[in-house]
Amino acid sequence: MPATDIAIIGWSQTPSVERSALTEVQLCLKANLAAVAAAGIDRHDIGFTCAGSCDYLTGGPFAFVANLDAAGAWPPISESHVEMDGAWALYEAWVRLQHGDIDLALVFGSGKSSPSNPTELYPQQLDPYYLEPLGLDPDSIAALQARALLDSGKATERAFAEVAARSRRSAKSNPNAQLSGDTDADTLLAGGYVRAPLRSHDLPVYSDGAAAIVLATADRARQLVEHPVFIRGIAHRIEVHQPGSRDLTTSPSTTGAARAAGHNGQAIDVAELSAAYTPQELILRESLGLDDKVTVNPSGGPLTANPVMATGLVRIIEAAQRVADGSAHRALAHATNGQGLQHNLVCILEGEQ
Amino acid sequence: MAQPSAIIGFGQTKHAKARADLSMIGLCREAAVRALEDAGLTWQDIDAVVIGKAPDAFEGVMQPELFLADALGAAGKPMLRVHTAGSVGGSTVIVASHLIESGIHERVLAVAWEKQSEGNAQWGLAGGRSGGIGAGGAFAPYIRSYIERTKAPDYIGWQVAVKDRLNALKNPYAHLQLADISIEKVKESPMLWDPLHFLESCPSSDGAAAVVIASEAAAKKAPRPPAWILATAVRSEPSTFPGRDAVRPQGGVDCAHDVYKQAGITNPREQIDVAELYVPFSWYEPMWLEGHDIAGPGEGWQMVDHGDTEITGSFPVNPSGGVLSSNPIGASGMLRLAEAANQVRGQAGAHQVDGAKVSLGQAYGGNAQYFAMAVFSSTLDRVGG
Amino acid sequence: MSDTTSTKVEPVMMDHMVSLTYVEDLPPNTVRFAEALVEGRILGQRCPVCARVFIPPKDYCPLDVVELTPDNDVEVADTGVVTNFTIVAPVRYYGQTKTEPFVYASVLLDGASGTLGGQDVSGIPADKVHAGLRVRAAWKPQSERSAEGQSARGWGSVAGCISSFEPTGEPDAPREAYEEHTI
Repeated sequence: MPATDIAIIGWSQTPSVERSALTEVQLCLKANLAAVAAAGIDRHDIGFTCAGSCDYLTGGPFAFVANLDAAGAWPPISESHVEMDGAWALYEAWVRLQHGDIDLALVFGSGKSSPSNPTELYPQQLDPYYLEPLGLDPDSIAALQARALLDSGKATERAFAEVAARSRRSAKSNPNAQLSGDTDADTLLAGGYVRAPLRSHDLPVYSDGAAAIVLATADRARQLVEHPVFIRGIAHRIEVHQPGSRDLTTSPSTTGAARAAGHNGQAIDVAELSAAYTPQELILRESLGLDDKVTVNPSGGPLTANPVMATGLVRIIEAAQRVADGSAHRALAHATNGQGLQHNLVCILEGEQ
Repeated sequence: MAQPSAIIGFGQTKHAKARADLSMIGLCREAAVRALEDAGLTWQDIDAVVIGKAPDAFEGVMQPELFLADALGAAGKPMLRVHTAGSVGGSTVIVASHLIESGIHERVLAVAWEKQSEGNAQWGLAGGRSGGIGAGGAFAPYIRSYIERTKAPDYIGWQVAVKDRLNALKNPYAHLQLADISIEKVKESPMLWDPLHFLESCPSSDGAAAVVIASEAAAKKAPRPPAWILATAVRSEPSTFPGRDAVRPQGGVDCAHDVYKQAGITNPREQIDVAELYVPFSWYEPMWLEGHDIAGPGEGWQMVDHGDTEITGSFPVNPSGGVLSSNPIGASGMLRLAEAANQVRGQAGAHQVDGAKVSLGQAYGGNAQYFAMAVFSSTLDRVGG
Repeated sequence: MSDTTSTKVEPVMMDHMVSLTYVEDLPPNTVRFAEALVEGRILGQRCPVCARVFIPPKDYCPLDVVELTPDNDVEVADTGVVTNFTIVAPVRYYGQTKTEPFVYASVLLDGASGTLGGQDVSGIPADKVHAGLRVRAAWKPQSERSAEGQSARGWGSVAGCISSFEPTGEPDAPREAYEEHTI
């Protein structure tokens, strides 16, 4: 296992909004500038930069190239890009920092969901021979997952609604949330189904937004900031693609990723989970062994703010924030890729021992 | 500290205009299975899978690695999807090598591919709009500037086009097999983007490449000689900005110097035995020779003119036939690095350069703004001692 | 496991056309650029740190990584010099409307630091187009001008208001005037 401790020393996210007048590049620029400033570094000292975004979401081949304008790529930089959530860009940078020749990295993730229709777009993310031609949209896959969970007896529609209500209440204290408010399960359950058994409160909002994080090796981190947030472990696992080939009521890849990240039953104070659908929060809690003592998604989570391709990175930011301000000693952040929780990343964060 | 890593297996498909005999899955597996066999391994031996390809619009599937995960043995394992435009095949190798060098994994499978026949690459390169200029249209002005700066004679591009296609005849995987290629044929082929003729341009190919990268301990158990990865580097610069030199991009210069320094190379022209450089349009061979300081200003085309870059020359470039002979865009960068690696493993078959011990692999992408480079060696020692 | 490249089974081909719609707002910088263009003015934006004049305005400088504002907008002339070009033989693909070889030139407008790419040069045979040629914008009549071609992504477009550039008849610009702008 790697020997080098890496810490998060600066971060920023743009407020999640349903529709931003700014371009994705302009949003990335804001996030990057603020994260670098928060870390107190000169951008020229950054040894590696990695971005996460999705051409299909942005709406054109090579769309990610424009975001390089926001990365401070002159003079030329050591930089790469993943067609994935920024959380995986963070993973790649974390790996790179293990080599010991550089001590600072910048990662960012971004996406504007407003120009496209998710129902039209996300079927393109599926097996082109067997699934995409069905026009299977993400709400429908989530609904199949919800149905399986209800049929297993592990959850009720009320439990789904309680996740939604709690998330909206939590989001009231999150200045970056798109949706928030006081509500309760009874009120929400009165609404009609959008994709039975899912109601609109069970579905994510879609946001325009960008987020950035500065990573540093441990020694450098201690020089730069008072409360570096250490990455105690980070790992990810993918499962088979076909939803019909998996048990949708569990998330073994999340369990596996968590174990590989070193999570083996220690108390977690705060968990920020990329549960875009209410049933997924219940599945993830179980897969991670999180009991009721854990505060889940104090930010409100993706149900209240969902800048796709940055949502996972935002979970890491929200978790890091709470470690840095002392409200959590040990936090867990989770990111997901694909649909129905096909691919999952877990990151364990802790303050200085 | 970074630990040593090596390429211990390389596989590729027979590249073709359309591999209608295979689905995208079959295409990737053809390369991956060959890489595993070359490495003497099974799917179970792999710790992580890194997939790279160019824009998804080329095939019309958003994030196809999600549905390919099953077929590429990734289920239950970590999977990463790299996307850095044309350089992606190269950066995919580099991202995979980082996983070994960081000590996280022992054996990583990297796969890069494109099945362009299933979409329309020209539409994709045009950003889905009318009036697309294609990749050649973007680069033709830079080539024009190179010719103006260096006063290179017009036949240099034709010479490179012939050389690479003749080399491809020694590579059974290469897409173009043009046994009757000649300077006259190149010169008389239609002008696509003045001054580039049709036969000076790469084909559009379906193809995949795969490599297995291993730790020192795992490499020492490999059945065939490993290609030790002495150095890797990536550089990116903005697509366009006032005053940018797109003919000799700073990113390309910096990337080259980074790998030379890591590898202990002080005289690339002498210390590198063979190079696989991403040359999709003929003139990019002299341009990259200069752009990576292998030749001095204005000397790149002279190396071509003197025959130095022939497979029997003093600095062979693209003995595999290069991008000019096969261009599955997502895979091409990996093919460059893997072909360079294969040279120092002594595994290049009919296009083997005798005695190759140190090789250079390079990929570029976007508006000549992304660079991925690596130096391979038959030994773990830095070059030059 | 067979890895043959020949096949005895005819593959089943399925044509699957997908249409995805993206509705984008123009960002503030592009709105300013488009509005000025319809009025017959070309807007650039000067970075206060490096003094480069970007065209069209981006509301940031990618080299200094600073945000810029409308206060940084400057007007540039509608005359300039061709710095580089190619002649593209159009390839047929879905959505392609070009049928004849077309000039694709970069034009450095007087007062700008960056070029306008992808411009047609008219009023001169294509094989006479050359770097150094002094040109002026051929504006569409006011009533025909629009923000067509603007997008939230890419390098900005003058296509809705300027149909091409044409030679002014002046002597060629000396190489030094455009040497650094060969894109």
